[in-house]
Amino acid sequence: MPERGLYAVAPLDELPPGSRKIVDVDGRSIGLFNVQGRIIAVLNVCPHELAPVCLGRWSGTTTPAPPGQFHWGREGEILRCPWHGWEFDLPSGDCLTDRRRLRRFPTRVADGQVFVDLSPGARA
Amino acid sequence: MGMIVDTDVHCGVSKQRMLDFLPEPWRTRVADGSDGPGHLGYWNPNGVNRRDAVTPDGRRIEGDPQTLAQYHFDHYNIDFGILNAGGVHVGLSPEPDFAAAYCSAMNDVYVNDWLTADERFRYSMIVSPADPALAADEIHRLGDHPGVVQVLMPSGAQYGYGHRFYHPIYEAAETRGLPVAIHPGSEGRGVSGAPSSAGYPGSYFEWHSNLVGSYIAHMISLVAEGVFIKYPGLKFVLIEGGVSWLPPVLWRLDKNWKSLRMTVPWLERPPGEIACEHILLTTQPIEEPDNIAHLHAMLGMFPADRMLMFSTDFPHWDGDTPDFALRLLPADLRDAVMWETACRLYRLPVP
Repeated sequence: MPERGLYAVAPLDELPPGSRKIVDVDGRSIGLFNVQGRIIAVLNVCPHELAPVCLGRWSGTTTPAPPGQFHWGREGEILRCPWHGWEFDLPSGDCLTDRRRLRRFPTRVADGQVFVDLSPGARA
Repeated sequence: MGMIVDTDVHCGVSKQRMLDFLPEPWRTRVADGSDGPGHLGYWNPNGVNRRDAVTPDGRRIEGDPQTLAQYHFDHYNIDFGILNAGGVHVGLSPEPDFAAAYCSAMNDVYVNDWLTADERFRYSMIVSPADPALAADEIHRLGDHPGVVQVLMPSGAQYGYGHRFYHPIYEAAETRGLPVAIHPGSEGRGVSGAPSSAGYPGSYFEWHSNLVGSYIAHMISLVAEGVFIKYPGLKFVLIEGGVSWLPPVLWRLDKNWKSLRMTVPWLERPPGEIACEHILLTTQPIEEPDNIAHLHAMLGMFPADRMLMFSTDFPHWDGDTPDFALRLLPADLRDAVMWETACRLYRLPVP
């Protein structure tokens, strides 16, 4: 009997660093991202217009710079929603340009399995 | 205590006075009747200058400092007025040296004949954006004159005014502590291209209604290209470009920024916020919806108490008088719009 709300969602070896996997858990679509060895689980619903945010481009972005200059950074940390391009910082869940945030769930790894905690109130 | 500051007043300057200040070969040229690019010839049946703006003995009121003072400033109890030279349109000339010389001569006429005539007069020195380096030289030549309170350019333009081509003008203006302003009328002149983004309007009515288009384009350009990040002390005044378009354009900027910030990484805050800290607008010709509550609601959608300044556009056909503006404005904005914001921006003495 698993701990209540804790779901085994994927073997860790299917989710090496830099990869993502979309899984269905108890009726919810959840994106799993391996960000530099850390597994981050994100509800696949954009807080803006409810788009499947986890299907968007996952890369770096331009960091603050003077007019006419472009600096690239945060590689592997930024998820862009496929609908309107809102940028979210995966490690924090914050949107770079709005107060609304990604809904994330706690994860843990045990016995080569990735677990996601969907218990009520669980927040990553 | 209330004051009135009129942020858009026009004067008539005689050709002879221009010749007195123009160096050769431009004096010979202007004396021959060639003074830069013409307009497209749209017909305004009202005339651009009001027909009634004449003294009892038949002289144009705006043609002489004393009559302007008596029949406009005294008549409406105007405490200060910003004189904006119509000659600014020469900035769309394809001849940058002529345009710069013409602007300098016009500025000399105003400094010598107008700023000396009445202590209520202030002046927007005109520069030609055709050569920003020459414009910057002119700003440094005259920018410290106590009566010169602003740099003026035409709102018709080759590029949006955020383009880096123009940045030397902003650097000079910021150094001298002067706001930069634009004034309409040159859309379609000289090198400005078509007067609207949909090409060539078919009447003066269509052309004039379209002027808001160049103002929207310039404001978006200034914000997007980071002018106010690069020159944080710069203020930019949109003269006579309409007001009611502003709130929805600010909303659009902010919405797009949420999606496209990556392409303008110098904008670290919502661009509408940045715009409201650096952009000012003049009232005339204020929009007149049938339901005045709609005007008042619109004025509540942006910080009008620090962005909006009263103007008459005297003696042009579409002017607004001070009493008319006061009737339209909500009571809680009257002081800010009629004088407070202008006094702060132009450093005018408040008794």
